[in-house]
Amino acid sequence: MKRFFDKTNFIPSELDKNATLQNRFLTGLLVLFFLASSFTFFNALYGFVDAIGSIVSASADVAIYDLLRSMPLILSVFMSIWALLLCHASFRKVSEEKWHRSLVKDAICLIVFAGVNTLYVIIGLAAGKYLSIVEGAPSPWFPLDSVLYSLLFIALGVLVLLYEKKWVAKRPCYLPKRGEIVTKARGLYCTFMSFWLLFALYGFAGGLFSIFIYDFAHGYAFYGVMTVLCFLLSPAMLCVWEFYYNNLKEDKKKELLLPLALCGLMVAILFIALDMVALSMSLDAPSNAGFGMFPIAFAASVNIATLLQVFVPLIVAIVALIKGIRLRKK
Amino acid sequence: MNKRTSIAFAMMLPFVLVSCGGSGDYKAHLDDYVFAMRYREGFNILQLTDIHWSYNSSTVASKAYLDKVFKEADAHVKANGGKLDLVEITGDQFMLANTYHVSSFFDYFEAKAAEYGFQYAMIWGNHDRHGLYHPNWLSEQCQKAIHCLYAEPEDNLYGRSNFVINLTDDGTKTGAAKWQIANLDSGASFSETAFAPFRDYDYIREDQVDWWVREHEKAGAEVPTIAYYHIPQQDNLEAWNKAHESGSTMKHKFFKLEGFADNGNERYASKFIAEGRKHHLKGAFMGHAHNVDWTVDYDGIVIGLGVKTGTELYYAHVDVNSQDPAMQEGLASVGINENFDLIGASLVTLHDGEAFDLEHLYYNERATNDFVRWVKW
Repeated sequence: MKRFFDKTNFIPSELDKNATLQNRFLTGLLVLFFLASSFTFFNALYGFVDAIGSIVSASADVAIYDLLRSMPLILSVFMSIWALLLCHASFRKVSEEKWHRSLVKDAICLIVFAGVNTLYVIIGLAAGKYLSIVEGAPSPWFPLDSVLYSLLFIALGVLVLLYEKKWVAKRPCYLPKRGEIVTKARGLYCTFMSFWLLFALYGFAGGLFSIFIYDFAHGYAFYGVMTVLCFLLSPAMLCVWEFYYNNLKEDKKKELLLPLALCGLMVAILFIALDMVALSMSLDAPSNAGFGMFPIAFAASVNIATLLQVFVPLIVAIVALIKGIRLRKK
Repeated sequence: MNKRTSIAFAMMLPFVLVSCGGSGDYKAHLDDYVFAMRYREGFNILQLTDIHWSYNSSTVASKAYLDKVFKEADAHVKANGGKLDLVEITGDQFMLANTYHVSSFFDYFEAKAAEYGFQYAMIWGNHDRHGLYHPNWLSEQCQKAIHCLYAEPEDNLYGRSNFVINLTDDGTKTGAAKWQIANLDSGASFSETAFAPFRDYDYIREDQVDWWVREHEKAGAEVPTIAYYHIPQQDNLEAWNKAHESGSTMKHKFFKLEGFADNGNERYASKFIAEGRKHHLKGAFMGHAHNVDWTVDYDGIVIGLGVKTGTELYYAHVDVNSQDPAMQEGLASVGINENFDLIGASLVTLHDGEAFDLEHLYYNERATNDFVRWVKW
């Protein structure tokens, strides 16, 4: 385990006691906020897609009503993802000065999102949009639960600001040295990475939920297993590339790029092939496995949605393969 | 387990899983699909459809609306000397819902069933499977609920909610059946091929038709039947086209403000209605297309969509000033001269012999006086 953390640069063994503690804490938060982001994104898509369903069916008034109701769910995603980015920034930035600036900016954003959400619920209650603070959808405590969630993030944001203002001089931070993100075609890179993150977040929650809600009996087991695996592939590959590869030291990166790309490519192709075989064996399989890329799609386009989950890691593997071959040639 | 054995096991696992799960032959245990209720002249069946509780639903507001519909329907049948005997919930009760919604739903219906003295039958729609719960868990809730009529034997019959309710003279399964209520699961969706990017709407399969014919013959070859399922079959569109041919005298009524959202593929045309003509099927009622409650007498069988219940997901706003010919045709058929929303419920009243009445209830909540209209078929 120690060697793994050394290799990935998350918690290098040369750190002193305090810095080790700090990096353990940050790594833990990173995992925690990945989980939180995954489930809140999944929830919000549910609410969001229900509204889209109403628009598609020419009931814009219902869609607006639905969107207004589920706004706390949508704002919860922003809070969770912002917290995830806040932690991720700790492993990302090379310049300490830049990191401190980013920390303050992210903490303020977090407080603003959480504040807006709390205020939104209060206004919603006053306007009669929520009949009570514990009205009962989408959970028995909604929208009270979203207010409590917001308060947690306000507390986190305040803690970060306090750290920056009062404690930063006393407790200097250790920041692992990681490469800057690409400068060439940075917009395209960032857009793709953002989409990949969303695919991975949704894939993780969708895949995990599917394990519990899919009917693996009645001859649908193979299809169900393949669909769940397809959905988990995107987050799994994200972990490999983002949490493992991108944290490696430069010489190790050069060494491992081509083998990792080849492995990723083979896995993606294998998953696509197996998914097609599984589908051909269960054409009438229930469409709740994997939920489709968008929940509403499980009525119609679950097949293409499942494959989409594999296409993203496939594209990443192809890009990595090209890069790896070019590096090898040099 | 060495490495080679592990790899072999991993490769075989999917095929082992595929072969898991045994099932019985539906033909061998037809009795397991049968419920019985006591028949009486003026037996009332209230159809609620496409309630669509989802992540966004205010269960509090939705229950308040259902309260009003029940109150109105109860008063209506009592005024005619009857009571609410059976509530048919014909699919898409849930979409994007979680266990909280399902539990609340059953708690609510159990309370209403006790209050008004009815039993209720649950039919799966295409969206009931799309939620944060295992479909078997939903089945269990249906089977656990005291007032819910629902059967789902472990079998080789397509779908889940396939069962019949025989209305007999003494209320037992062995009594003489006067009417039969057939409930069929019209499925959700399926892929035509492994390369199909999209899924087609499902349809009533041949084995389901065969199962119902057997159940009907068992109840009595002459017993009139009313069927409930969720997705309209190709017959609805066929009937619509025939009813709108020049010179057609087919009786039809109510609104068709969107397509029937049926399978639409001739290859997957269902034989249910055609077989029904040979086996005393008198009426077939479904849901699925919220903006449609159009009903037609199609060669002796009354086929129609129930009125969507509640405001979840989408519903039609009927506008008396609309230039849409379909809207004007619907308005002319119901004789209503003010704007309203196409939501409410449908009521079937069974009579001795083979006759039944059908009424559509349009119930809209309004700030002052709610809009309430009963329209007879």
